[in-house]
Amino acid sequence: MVEVSTPVRWLLRAVAIGYVFFLVAWPVSLVAVRTFEDGTSTFLHIFSDEQTVAALQLTVMVALWAVIINLVFGVTISILLVRYQFPGKRVLSALIDLPLSVSPVVVGLALLLVYSGRTGWIGPSIEEAGWQVIYDSPGMIMATCFVALPLVIREVVPVLTEIGDDQEQAARSLGASARQTFLRITLPSIKWAVIYGVVLSLARSLGEFGAVKIVSGNVTGRTQTATLIVEARYQNFEQGTAYAVAFLLAFISIACLIVVAFLRPSHES
Amino acid sequence: MTSALLGPAADFAGEASTGRPPRRRRRQGPRNTLTPGAGLGLGIAMIWFSLLVLIPLVAIIVTAGEGGWSGYFDVLASDQTWAAVQLTVTQSLLVTAVNVVVGTIIAWVLVRDRFWGKSVLNVIIDVPFALPTIVAGLVLLSLYGPQSPLGLEWANTERAVMLALAFVTLPFIVRTVQPVLEELDADVEEAAASLGATRATIVRRIILPSLAPAIAAGAALSFARAISEYGSLVLLSGNLPFRTEVVSVRVLSFIENGNTQSAAALASVMLAVALVVIVGLDIVQRRVANRG
Amino acid sequence: MSIDVHHVTKRFGDFVALDDVTVSLPTGQLTALLGPSGGGKSTLLRIIAGLDTADSGTISIEGTDATRLPAQKRNVGFVFQHYAVFKHMTVAKNVAFGLEIRRRPKAEVVARVDELLKLVHLSQFAHRLPSQLSGGQRQRMALARALAVEPSVLLLDEPFGALDAKVRKELREWLRRLHDEVNVTTVFVTHDQEEALEVADEIVVINEGRVEQVGTPDQLYDEPANDFVMSFLGDVTSLGGSSLRPHDIEISTSPVLAGGVEGEVSRLLRIGFEVRANVLTIDGEEVTVVLTRAHARAIGVEEGSTVWLTPAVGAAVVPRMKAVV
Repeated sequence: MVEVSTPVRWLLRAVAIGYVFFLVAWPVSLVAVRTFEDGTSTFLHIFSDEQTVAALQLTVMVALWAVIINLVFGVTISILLVRYQFPGKRVLSALIDLPLSVSPVVVGLALLLVYSGRTGWIGPSIEEAGWQVIYDSPGMIMATCFVALPLVIREVVPVLTEIGDDQEQAARSLGASARQTFLRITLPSIKWAVIYGVVLSLARSLGEFGAVKIVSGNVTGRTQTATLIVEARYQNFEQGTAYAVAFLLAFISIACLIVVAFLRPSHES
Repeated sequence: MTSALLGPAADFAGEASTGRPPRRRRRQGPRNTLTPGAGLGLGIAMIWFSLLVLIPLVAIIVTAGEGGWSGYFDVLASDQTWAAVQLTVTQSLLVTAVNVVVGTIIAWVLVRDRFWGKSVLNVIIDVPFALPTIVAGLVLLSLYGPQSPLGLEWANTERAVMLALAFVTLPFIVRTVQPVLEELDADVEEAAASLGATRATIVRRIILPSLAPAIAAGAALSFARAISEYGSLVLLSGNLPFRTEVVSVRVLSFIENGNTQSAAALASVMLAVALVVIVGLDIVQRRVANRG
Repeated sequence: MSIDVHHVTKRFGDFVALDDVTVSLPTGQLTALLGPSGGGKSTLLRIIAGLDTADSGTISIEGTDATRLPAQKRNVGFVFQHYAVFKHMTVAKNVAFGLEIRRRPKAEVVARVDELLKLVHLSQFAHRLPSQLSGGQRQRMALARALAVEPSVLLLDEPFGALDAKVRKELREWLRRLHDEVNVTTVFVTHDQEEALEVADEIVVINEGRVEQVGTPDQLYDEPANDFVMSFLGDVTSLGGSSLRPHDIEISTSPVLAGGVEGEVSRLLRIGFEVRANVLTIDGEEVTVVLTRAHARAIGVEEGSTVWLTPAVGAAVVPRMKAVV
């Protein structure tokens, strides 16, 4: 292993720490400082503001639905991709990652073009059936699902590949049905990967902004999520509220990260 | 059923060929090994994936195509849009270049160096992944905005765009290079050293070439993310036409003006870049897998 | 017959893994499927277990047709080369798995697990995780797990292939003793002819998807059906157009025996108590002869001396079909 000379090592270390400090650590910590400049009143105020509370509730509802859908979809697709052969598998496997590189604005536009109640491809027929997708929660859930789609799959696929199908075959030879094999063997083996995937999806879902902004219509008190409130309040010169909600969102997402970072090493090997 | 199965062997050949497909794959082959249950699961998953991702993305391409080539050309040729494209591409390339250097250094420090607080640094790297983009913008505004403790007034300038892009793309190269660096065989470096290579030579001739595919993959992801960024720029860059307006903001203002066809035309270009990146990554990964 | 395989064919793409295989494996015996890697023996075992399906042909186990039965319903115990332990369960839970799937009463499960762990000498590890066991211990646990459900047949796929030589040898003897104790029809796959000869009651030699010969270890060694079986089970040389074992050739320094083939010793190599002589016959054939050191000294063979070779009385000789390496 190459041992770098001491001055070079210090230089590299300084570059790494300095860059991360000025770009991430310091700015992020300033949000906490701004939020609690005048004590806890600004922060606590957001919980008595009706619109903010409604936005937070909506955010949680949308995120939970999106996480559940992506969990079921993600685990299903992961098992199909790893354990089975079928035509088009390679294309599907590449397409699954697409949502990570598509701009949230493009995601919003794409959903708008198909599901818009007025001009969409199938939106008008869905609206006739009594459902509204765009400018309502189904559209927001879809947008959130879209942007967080690959996160569970990216965690689960490598673990499934790694453990192989030996244990599943052994379970079958011992008489376990497909359901029993999945519940008693496969699921416990991929449990931690699924949990990481869910935590990451949750963080991503709570924080989605661009795509949700387009499909929600950003109607105050009805389709406004927490991230949309941050923008609205900041531009409305209510910086206190903006910083407080931002702090809450940052706190949750960083908590998610720390949970993952601390769970991960103890359960991998 | 049982009596049928006890018939002459010739019948079995026919039975088996029309029977259930084999359940497990043992050797690679372009075969179909789906069981009826798995086939149903794939069907439902594909319907959802089509409704959520494929049909909407196709809608963008179709809508963009409705105006023909001239529609495309008109959108891109507008001065304001062209300025946005130029700004986005230039800043994304710059940020990617910065990431290639700094991201590799950070990955190196995280793998090869040992110091107090390294695990904290390791967690902080992921913060830009997890932080909501609008919050990222606000976060940067608090240090580089109007009330900057550093006295920097970068809000609403090109620097703000670069800052936001650098923030959201920080983890890409670090996280692609880090595992490769960890797996790197110490033997190879020692062998090079025993053959008389200096440290600089080992880094240049042995380590960097092994990291190159990972750096390339990280750079591609980072570039794709940078050109598609929206949320972190909203508050920070001010979205000033000809100065700090990026492509995604252009798309959004087309949408808000009800000009979905122009929005789709510009969005389809962004989509094409994303696709190129995905396909490129797939090829790089296959190359690397074949090599090792 | 316990397991009847009837005209089974299996292809993976263009590769023919099993080519119209018909074989019967006897009840209560320990049978080895022996052959080189990629010869189809593991595929046959997996088809018997229901983990793979045959393209055509039938399998019956204990007289019932099992061709279309899924693995879950065949009541076979299967032991995998790489153990396939359930990593998230303790040793006792691993062994109990099949019984719990069959919803046996709790007390029965506990008693049975206890009994099996004793049988495989793992009682003291009951509450450990498999990751805390050695390879040999894991394989014993996997064996107990397979036996727990009282399978009608026990199938082992290269059970000792992943273990080091010493443990391998121990487990081999132990499997033989265990089989005599439990007496369940057992089939194991191996590519190690020594393992098969030492452990099995009966050996099925499989090569390139076909059964080459079925028989007891002695039959196979003494009366090999063809060149391939002969060479796979031990050293082979050729003399006068026939294949035979190097120690089955009589060598003398004078033409005393009728039909002796004349040749010149081109090379003499001492390996321990053996002497290996390479003889170039006047027909241009390269023959390897193995004799004891005392015998070599007594008749005075040296490099360059002229000798006469004859097949020993009662030697296993098969006509030479193709070049044998």
